[in-house]
Amino acid sequence: MSESVPTTSFLERTIQRRSFFRVAGATAAASTLVLAGCVGSDDDNDETGPSVSTLRFTKDDLGVLNYAYLLEHLEAAFYQKVVDAFPSDFTADDRAAFVDLRDHEVIHREFLRYALGTNAFDNVVPIAFDFTSFNLTTRAGVYAAAQLLEDVGVGAYNGAGKLLTAPAYLKLVGKIASVESRHAAFVRDQAQPGSFAAADVVENTGTLAGLDTVKTPTQVAELIAKYVQATLIVTDLPTL
Amino acid sequence: MQFLKLLAQLAELDEQQLTATGPRRTALSRLGQAGAAVLPAALTALASPAAARDIKDTRTPLDVLTLALTLEYLENEFYSRALGLTPGGPANPTAFFVSAENKAAIETIQRHEQQHVTLLSRLIVDAGGTVPPAPRFDFTGSKNGAQAAVFADVYTNLDTFLQVAQLLEDAGVRAYKGQVEFIQSYDSLLEAALRTHSTEARHASHIRTMRRQRGANVKSWVSPSDTPITTAGSGPNKAYAGEENITQYVPTTTTIKRVPFEQGLPINVATPALSQSAILAKVAEAFDEPIDAATSVELAQLFIY
Repeated sequence: MSESVPTTSFLERTIQRRSFFRVAGATAAASTLVLAGCVGSDDDNDETGPSVSTLRFTKDDLGVLNYAYLLEHLEAAFYQKVVDAFPSDFTADDRAAFVDLRDHEVIHREFLRYALGTNAFDNVVPIAFDFTSFNLTTRAGVYAAAQLLEDVGVGAYNGAGKLLTAPAYLKLVGKIASVESRHAAFVRDQAQPGSFAAADVVENTGTLAGLDTVKTPTQVAELIAKYVQATLIVTDLPTL
Repeated sequence: MQFLKLLAQLAELDEQQLTATGPRRTALSRLGQAGAAVLPAALTALASPAAARDIKDTRTPLDVLTLALTLEYLENEFYSRALGLTPGGPANPTAFFVSAENKAAIETIQRHEQQHVTLLSRLIVDAGGTVPPAPRFDFTGSKNGAQAAVFADVYTNLDTFLQVAQLLEDAGVRAYKGQVEFIQSYDSLLEAALRTHSTEARHASHIRTMRRQRGANVKSWVSPSDTPITTAGSGPNKAYAGEENITQYVPTTTTIKRVPFEQGLPINVATPALSQSAILAKVAEAFDEPIDAATSVELAQLFIY
């Protein structure tokens, strides 16, 4: 495709083209995700415990797909935990919806695991999650947690699209992304009716008004750090 | 008919084809699902890869923006009329929406569509294009009385209005999804399109939630279990045709693989396990499918005269 068609810089970011990736790809040490399991960290101030995995996402499509895979893992584990012990004030409709949400995220997770094959990050060491900071014993607590995770997922997918180089991967990720947006709107409406696209997620003023949330991998890693029992290194992921 | 010509150019159809009845589908959508760039020859031989590549190569960012603007014009006017912001809607918008909550939600959605029009117009200008004027709309589908109305009571029956809203939002999500591959090299444009696509999906989800609260059998995500709001084979049904797809392909460095949802993937985790048809319905729900420019235009045409 042409490399010279001018376009807007309304996002106030210089238009970066694929050449960045070609350079990056040439210098990348490996195209597979590095999993350094059980990095000893008991002598530092790491709050996650004495023995944690380190997930380092690589600077290529496989790194981005593994990033998406981690998010789907996280969401699937969360919904499974809720389904395993529904809050007592969950309605039949709530239960049915959460079974759907669990199934969708499991399907996304397994889809990405299949796509990644031997490159899936957890082929070496299984990942574990920690949801103890959520209150999952009440309907309100569960929906608040689901809202947090879904909105992070939406922002992550909206930010990840441009990090992918293969058109086929972009198309596939796009098919998942809008389902996550539907989830986010659903859980927000249950938590607070009418909040499906409130101003904390969809820009309401300025030049970006009408655009849904977007997050960089670094922002996402910070937001999900306390739920993932691993150290996430996303700084190698493609950046723009 | 100036707008029809513009749309025809966008979709790379001639005007005659656009206004003719009957399906004119290529295998592009199937190719799109598979990732045309990586399909091995054995698979593409059955389809129309040359045609697919022609369309792929000739769609410019300006084409993408103009198609998106058409859809946003349409959505914005649809909601603006309902809210009484422009003529042609219900006699009493407040009464029409029944509750303040319903009206507030539509106000939120309309505001976003207006914002999308503003954004896309600016992007078209920035890209060196000329912003086309909004076409003329008839949301009953009668083309200003030239044919029988499809949604005669769209502004007198809230349930009909919400059905059309759902159709427009679901189709909008699919249309954006079908265009992102053409702007993949333009990072800020791609990000803006994905974020707009995401906003539209939130709208779609909410409209579906509203309908369900009013008694409709519909999930907040597109499901085979939804009671259809269009008739199979009809023009409006193009908004949903193909959404039931459960066949996904993933590329590898040397080939592509079909994802074995029906067997092999550990996705059926319910206790007790779901039936095969039930778990595959969940697979269909878990993926929203794109539509191509031609289909997007055909759907917009239902409401343009």
